[in-house]
Amino acid sequence: MKLNKRYTRSIKANLPFYVSASVLTMVTLLMFYLFYIAGTGINRYGDEFFEKYKREDAAFTTYKEIPDEEIGALENKYSVTLEKERFAGVDEGGHRVRVFCPNEKIDLYEIQDGRDIESDDEILISAGYAVENNVKPGDVIRIKGKDYTVAGTFLRPDYLYMVENVSDDYKNVTTFFLCYMTPAEFEAQFGGGSINNKVIYTEKTDEAAFRRAVNEDYFMSSYLSADGNMRITFVHEQADMFIMSSWFILVIFPLLTVALVCILLGRRIRAEQKLIGTLSAMGYERSKLMRHYSLYAVIPGVVGGLLTSVAALILAKPFGSLGLADYEPMKPDFTLPVWVAVAGVVIPTAIYYAAAMLRVRKLLKADTVDLLSGKVGADAKSRKILSHKKTAVKRKFAVRQLVGSPGRSFVIFLGIFLGATIVAFAFSFIDSVRAVGKEAHGEFGSFKYEYILNSLENGKPEDGEAMLALQYENEESSRFSLLGLDRDATLWNLTTVDGEKADLENGFYVSTLCEATFGVHKGDEFTFRSIATLEEKTVKIDGVIKNGYQSYLLTSREKAAKIAGIDEKSYNAVLADKALDYKSDEVTEIISDKTYEMQMENMMTAMGGLIYAFMIIGMIVCIAALYATINTMITENRHNISMLKVLGFEDGRIDSMILSSNHLLLIPGIVLGIASAYGVMAWYCKEFVEVEHIIIPATLYPQSILYTALITLASYVISLLLLRRKIGRTDMIEALKDGRE
Amino acid sequence: MFIEVKDAKKRYGEGEAAVYALDGVDLSLEKGKICVILGPSGSGKSTLLNMIGGLDSLDSGEIEIDGQNITKLNKKALTSYRKQSVGFIFQFYNLIPDLTVEENVQVVAEIADKPLDMDEILTALDIEKYRYRFPRELSGGQQQRVAIARAMVKNPKLLLCDELTGALDTKSSRSVLRFIEKINREYGTTTLIITHNEAIAEMSDVVVRIKDGRVDSITENASKKTADEIEL
Repeated sequence: MKLNKRYTRSIKANLPFYVSASVLTMVTLLMFYLFYIAGTGINRYGDEFFEKYKREDAAFTTYKEIPDEEIGALENKYSVTLEKERFAGVDEGGHRVRVFCPNEKIDLYEIQDGRDIESDDEILISAGYAVENNVKPGDVIRIKGKDYTVAGTFLRPDYLYMVENVSDDYKNVTTFFLCYMTPAEFEAQFGGGSINNKVIYTEKTDEAAFRRAVNEDYFMSSYLSADGNMRITFVHEQADMFIMSSWFILVIFPLLTVALVCILLGRRIRAEQKLIGTLSAMGYERSKLMRHYSLYAVIPGVVGGLLTSVAALILAKPFGSLGLADYEPMKPDFTLPVWVAVAGVVIPTAIYYAAAMLRVRKLLKADTVDLLSGKVGADAKSRKILSHKKTAVKRKFAVRQLVGSPGRSFVIFLGIFLGATIVAFAFSFIDSVRAVGKEAHGEFGSFKYEYILNSLENGKPEDGEAMLALQYENEESSRFSLLGLDRDATLWNLTTVDGEKADLENGFYVSTLCEATFGVHKGDEFTFRSIATLEEKTVKIDGVIKNGYQSYLLTSREKAAKIAGIDEKSYNAVLADKALDYKSDEVTEIISDKTYEMQMENMMTAMGGLIYAFMIIGMIVCIAALYATINTMITENRHNISMLKVLGFEDGRIDSMILSSNHLLLIPGIVLGIASAYGVMAWYCKEFVEVEHIIIPATLYPQSILYTALITLASYVISLLLLRRKIGRTDMIEALKDGRE
Repeated sequence: MFIEVKDAKKRYGEGEAAVYALDGVDLSLEKGKICVILGPSGSGKSTLLNMIGGLDSLDSGEIEIDGQNITKLNKKALTSYRKQSVGFIFQFYNLIPDLTVEENVQVVAEIADKPLDMDEILTALDIEKYRYRFPRELSGGQQQRVAIARAMVKNPKLLLCDELTGALDTKSSRSVLRFIEKINREYGTTTLIITHNEAIAEMSDVVVRIKDGRVDSITENASKKTADEIEL
């Protein structure tokens, strides 16, 4: 039909709107795509890697070594794969090395760079450390006084997230690495070394029976299931966070964006009501008109969707790599599933098409005479505002624009709100992580150092305060620490959330993280079991102590020792307000008052790229949303702008008069955006407890609020500056002709 | 001369589609006169008005208003010229719908250097009682009177009227013309009226006929009538 000849001209005339609406569609969909691709890519890689390299289901140690000849019998009886892994810890020039003798059945390694070891003077080292410290195959590393040539680097399934101790909150690839040497060389250097038993269960395995049997014969001293091993669980947990974030982003941002574009499309179609009325009067069928106008709406959907797919293809790998910052250098395949790409084009297109259809349909229900006079949809109810007040006309005009056209005001508000929300969320993420670094140690207490000892000691330490720290679990194998302190302990936080001092002699207290993780509250009974013997204990909880970073049950040292069945004077940790002289082989871990801060700073360094990318996306969304909206507003005000020009108003004065109404939306948009970002962060942190086993306090510092406001304001100003030319280009004569009624 | 147009040319379009809206127009008008420009549709009369009002620029030729060559003015100076010197009245009023009668006039008064007293103008045009109404609440004639008040409040040297009665009935047209006549008489504002309506020419001092972008004739009206005397 001849009407189709309008397409090119009309699209050209409204190009800025189509471009901004397409960009808006693209950017918000892209956020979903990238998070989804990163999450699914990591999950897929994790599953395949775990399967291929025989990831353990659990690791355990025993007081009595399981004889080699008994391994086969246990495997057959309980349908398990069992292997004794030999390892040793070495301190070398301030760096800590965990040396392994290669396994044959469980937790096998994959060479990343270089080749496998072929001789006794060669070693393999963990890939993350090699990358971080720029160690290449061929380089030489000294271990226990002997130089070894690095033959290659490797990944192994139980160390894809390289935490030195399972209780650490963040990886360490700077001063800690894993190493393989030949069995003969390991024997020569470390003898038998320490043993960590690895097990893989099958469907036929009765896990509890196996554990009881091992404990009965060999006395289990520790048991760590893969589900409780952060080095393993972090792979899927972080990937799941990405996927969860992607769905959250999908639910909030693209839906809001699509709603915004639909509103703008509707307004643009309404602005064409005279033509629609004319065509209708000329006899054009309703269906033809609906199809004609709906096809305009398809443009931002198709273009935005296609651009999203193209951008996702290009950005999937670099963006996904940002999400890999915490892991060992894994190489997942970040690809865009075809169905997601197709859905990304089809869904917004269909929604825009439907929105346009409905708008034209609604318009065509109106009286043709009203359409021809352009009166349909004009709302005059609010225009009386300030009509009797003696105030500047500019101000009255601004208020009436704002209140008299709520739909238009809403979409401008939405643009500001969206931008502020995304930017504030990014800041809140940074602030919340930093808050952990700043506040975490204070929740533990006033000690400067905590020494976790290699062995159980008896009595009292020469310096510092004794603490007994033992691992226990619930029925679901979720672990927590049973802590025992002396009644005169001063360095550990003993103040309950009720403000009272914990009575360790007579009671049991849980940390807030333990409360959140296990759902036990003051007055409840808490049943848990020994990870070695699976023997159950039940205690009554007398209070809760604020600590969102360690899941613990706290009591006196005597009571903790009694539960463990060991001497009541036992301790295996020392709290001190100064550095103590422990030798490196006497302690397994030293926690200082700076540990959390450093771990969180490292985390921020690793995740910084992702967060700043998110912030930039927020700015683009804000600019594109405001550009599209204000562009529509200027089009709707074309007649007024033209008349003001004729009357001798300078462009700057016209800008101020037409656009100033939007300034009033800045404050609520920014304030509500920041509030909603904080709310989202609080929810996110709540979800984080189950995934990361840490209570992150949702935080937004005043300077971040200020930065959010400034960035949103800058985005707003940029969009206004981009649109000033449109006001300048408004043709006085043509616009006045259009304004005839 | 107050208005001096010399060999004004304006072409729209390119190549074979090119149309000369003004094809060498020469025109002079003394200060304080009412001039009616007559001509069929497409003759170029609106284009001439737009050029004199500083809304559009000539391809060649010159226009001087009160000794100022406006064809040499840049965008900023043209805006200032429109602000200080020219009052426009259009066929379809072009009032700002979001502003009341008073505000439509006040918005211009606020930017004018030496505005006239707004109340006086509203009273003179008999629209004082509608000052808090919005344009959509007024009849066509009332709206056009608001447009006249808006044009006059800045106390312009030149009043340009483009088919100002084109959308009005006879009674409203006469009322509007009566106010134009009154303004010319009381303020001495030079007034250019573009119209199809030959009857309006009878109340002018000078009648200019335009055809195909050229001045066909310029006639001094020896028997000038009042707005009440002409037959609309």
